[in-house]
Amino acid sequence: MTGTRDPQQDDTIQAMLGDSGLESAAELRSALEQLRAVVPDAAPAPRADLAALLAAGTAGAAGPAAPDSATTTALPTVASAKNDADPPLPAGVTSLAERRGRKRRLAIVGGAVVGAMTLGAGAVAASSEDFRHSVSHTVGVIFQPPGHGAPAPEHVQPSPSTIPALPVPGATPGPGTPGAAPSGASARSTSSTPGSPAAGHKPPATPPAVGRDGILPTPGQRPGAPGLPASPGLPGGGGNPGKDLPRVPGHITPTLPGVVPTKAPGQP
Amino acid sequence: MAQQLSDDELSAALAGDPSGFSAVYAVISPAVLGYFRARGVDDAEALTQDVFVDVLPKLAGVRGGHTGLRTFIFSVAHARLVDYRRRAERTPHLAEYDPLNDARYSASAEDEALGSLGGISDTLARLNEEQREVLVLRIVADLSIEQVAGIMDKTPGAIKQLQRRGLSALRELVTEKDHAAS
Repeated sequence: MTGTRDPQQDDTIQAMLGDSGLESAAELRSALEQLRAVVPDAAPAPRADLAALLAAGTAGAAGPAAPDSATTTALPTVASAKNDADPPLPAGVTSLAERRGRKRRLAIVGGAVVGAMTLGAGAVAASSEDFRHSVSHTVGVIFQPPGHGAPAPEHVQPSPSTIPALPVPGATPGPGTPGAAPSGASARSTSSTPGSPAAGHKPPATPPAVGRDGILPTPGQRPGAPGLPASPGLPGGGGNPGKDLPRVPGHITPTLPGVVPTKAPGQP
Repeated sequence: MAQQLSDDELSAALAGDPSGFSAVYAVISPAVLGYFRARGVDDAEALTQDVFVDVLPKLAGVRGGHTGLRTFIFSVAHARLVDYRRRAERTPHLAEYDPLNDARYSASAEDEALGSLGGISDTLARLNEEQREVLVLRIVADLSIEQVAGIMDKTPGAIKQLQRRGLSALRELVTEKDHAAS
């Protein structure tokens, strides 16, 4: 603390006091000088490994290539053990790389949790009635142009009256004629009832959209009728009665959907 | 701490040449030792030597001449001190026989005569941790505001503020102690 450094140190203390506006504080200045006095005059005697390092410095001054070998011999535990790792870590210094990895792991786990919760929420939403209705609605709207196909699956519930007629021709493709005849009869009977009120109305294009709103009662019967020409059409390709069936619904189908717009607004 | 590093020694040390090591050690280790002592480390000498065992082989990458070398060494010393503090928090406090806790203790004549060191450490210990660090680094390690800012990973403005608050707090403590003593 004595010697050449004193003036500099005085400058440092003076500058610090000046920065803080405390130049006049004599006690503080003496306290800071005491603090500075903590610095010993001489370097502490080096420990064995440090002494080896320093000695390697003075002895190995011959070759500048010495430092690496010198450090490894001087620090057998420190340098040689950890030199194989990319950053040589000195003793007592812990690498933070693991913690970084832990952070990444946390992020991954968090992402997995969020993903799982999203899946669960999606499953719940999919299992709820309202959601399925709205989805089927939107899907129906999207695939509306094919029109006839869309209403058919929707009216499955009311159609059971007509459905038994459907499988009959499907189940009896072999005999063909007997199966098709009753179905054709039932088709006429069912189609004739809605067909009579529908006779006065024209628009064939509108029904699917509006018909879906009024779905349950009225359109239920009708899709059965358009469904019939389609299903008998399959077995009908092989037999004569098939030709008779398509004709009947062929006239009916355009008129039937016309019922929907009138009844649908009337019901609600 | 009377001498400065010569340019030859400095350039040798910064080139990674071991011939400069002992000069670096002789010049800077007293300040490091004082730094650890002022911060109240138990075995300040051992920690100082740890620092130099770490630092000396790595001097080749240091840039910035005298200030750069000093900043680098005290950065390592600061990190070592933080490590030491954390380790000390985790290890149980060993309470050996402490003469100061002995009721029959009477003030040591040496302590009263020298007085200075223990007194200032006690006073410093009552400061805020960061303020203490700034004051010790500024005075004992003889570093500039910018160097301290680099070591403590703060802005120079923050360091100035800490220094000013630390000084005023220290002043209050010192005057208070003087009044109590008189």
